Amino acid sequence: MVLTPDFETRPVISFQHVFKKYPTGTEALRDINLEVPEGDFLFLVGPSGAGKSTLVRLLIREEKPTKGKIFVDGVELGRMKRRKLPYYRRKVGLVFQDFKLLPNLTIYENVAFALRVLGEADHNVRSRVAEALDTVSLSGKENTYPANLSGGEQQRVAIARALVHAPRFIIADEPTGNLDPATAWEIMQLFLRINARGATVVMATHNREIVDLLRRRVIAIDAGQIARDDRSGRYHDDVAKSQVRA
Amino acid sequence: MMLRNLKFALNSAWQSFWRNLAVSLAAVLSITLILILAGINLLVGHAFSQVLQTFRDRVSEISINVSDDTPLQNVYEFQQQLAADPRVSSVQFITKEQALAQFKADPQNVVFAQQIEGNPLDAKLDVHVKNLSDVAAIDTLARRWPGVDPTDPTNYQGDFVNRMLELSSWLSLAGVALLVVLMVVSVVIVMNTIRTAVYHRRKEIEIMKLVGATEWFVRGPFVLEGVMTGLIAAAIALALLVVAYPPAVDQFKSDVGFIPLTYDPAFISNLAQDLLLAGALLGALGSYIGVRRYVRI
Repeated sequence: MVLTPDFETRPVISFQHVFKKYPTGTEALRDINLEVPEGDFLFLVGPSGAGKSTLVRLLIREEKPTKGKIFVDGVELGRMKRRKLPYYRRKVGLVFQDFKLLPNLTIYENVAFALRVLGEADHNVRSRVAEALDTVSLSGKENTYPANLSGGEQQRVAIARALVHAPRFIIADEPTGNLDPATAWEIMQLFLRINARGATVVMATHNREIVDLLRRRVIAIDAGQIARDDRSGRYHDDVAKSQVRA
Repeated sequence: MMLRNLKFALNSAWQSFWRNLAVSLAAVLSITLILILAGINLLVGHAFSQVLQTFRDRVSEISINVSDDTPLQNVYEFQQQLAADPRVSSVQFITKEQALAQFKADPQNVVFAQQIEGNPLDAKLDVHVKNLSDVAAIDTLARRWPGVDPTDPTNYQGDFVNRMLELSSWLSLAGVALLVVLMVVSVVIVMNTIRTAVYHRRKEIEIMKLVGATEWFVRGPFVLEGVMTGLIAAAIALALLVVAYPPAVDQFKSDVGFIPLTYDPAFISNLAQDLLLAGALLGALGSYIGVRRYVRI
């Protein structure tokens, strides 16, 4: 089942004339305007250093925009108080290229971590972790440590952790960057399933095959600007239907 | 939820203490050393105040020698005048006979006592002054009294008393200064040790923050671990000090006999309280500061 994102209702993520300049002087993003409706599946593509990672870091509020406004779920990230930040992050599930698993915790503990932080009761933690591990087909590996898993399995653990608290947004930065094509494809299936359940997914990626196969919304970023925003696009704009949405 | 968070914090503090045993032990060791130094400082300070108290008791007593031809009536009158003085806590009249008996009773005077013929000693008024700094005024008062023995009016040694007073204020000042220095040094050392521990776990902290942990949720386990470290260190330091205290006093007594230092078991419970509290606070403060840089989102 594929959920059709509703472009007519109010967007859950919205960038309004966003600029980001780092203290070093690098201008990472220039005048970014972007609207993401609830339930959207969005690829951010573009060459290294184009500004994809900066955009992701703005979205999880690791960075603040230099100019412009970013709204997520009605809250302006740039003006959010520091002590509110943890509560925002709980609405978001994050997946990274390097998995970011804790090596000295078991698979179960790694996934449970996201719930412990919320102060969930033990019996809730147990059932929800079991469910999340089942979703990523890792039931039975609860007591294994990350070092004993393959890259694909580790990324699946990270995805289980990202979705165990049922976030409304999944933000992924190069989630398949360290994986072979077959494994990358498995991981993508997981993201599609999460999206089908209603979560909005924003994914920065270099993986051309996947983007071209899935034909989802593609936003190409080049030199800090949005070069293309295609509702069902490809990695490269080789079909000559370039159309920049403001 | 508070309780669950506390349980989680205690759990992860305990686990991380054992998982990073080398760093934990380094922290315990440095806090132990500092607390031993602080403990020695407290013990030495206590010993000094004990000694000073003995000296104070001694020099706050002044003996006024009464000349042989003073009528007893005058002596009583002067005794009453002194007893009524607010600065005086007690006055005791010692007759010539009593003075001689006291002199002979002192084992140091055995040889002298055999050679004494008759009674060369004066009768005297032993005056206990409440405040050490008032002894000089009482001495002046006594010297003006007509009944005093003009050749040897009192046993007051102003210089000695003044020096004692000065010494005691300097010593307490030095003790406080040393404690302050130790505190500052220890917080810095603890902070750096714990910062090393935190540095090893910065990835864990980053992940905690990314999944939405509040600052206190991240900090809690570290602060608790610091308290644990501090308490363990305090217990070790205390055990070593308690074992070393009596032999050190004995050694000191046999080396420097004239200073009346004694073993004071009652002080141990004070020391225990101070060290445990200091250990817990140092550990907590050091962790709090050490972890701050990484927790700030």
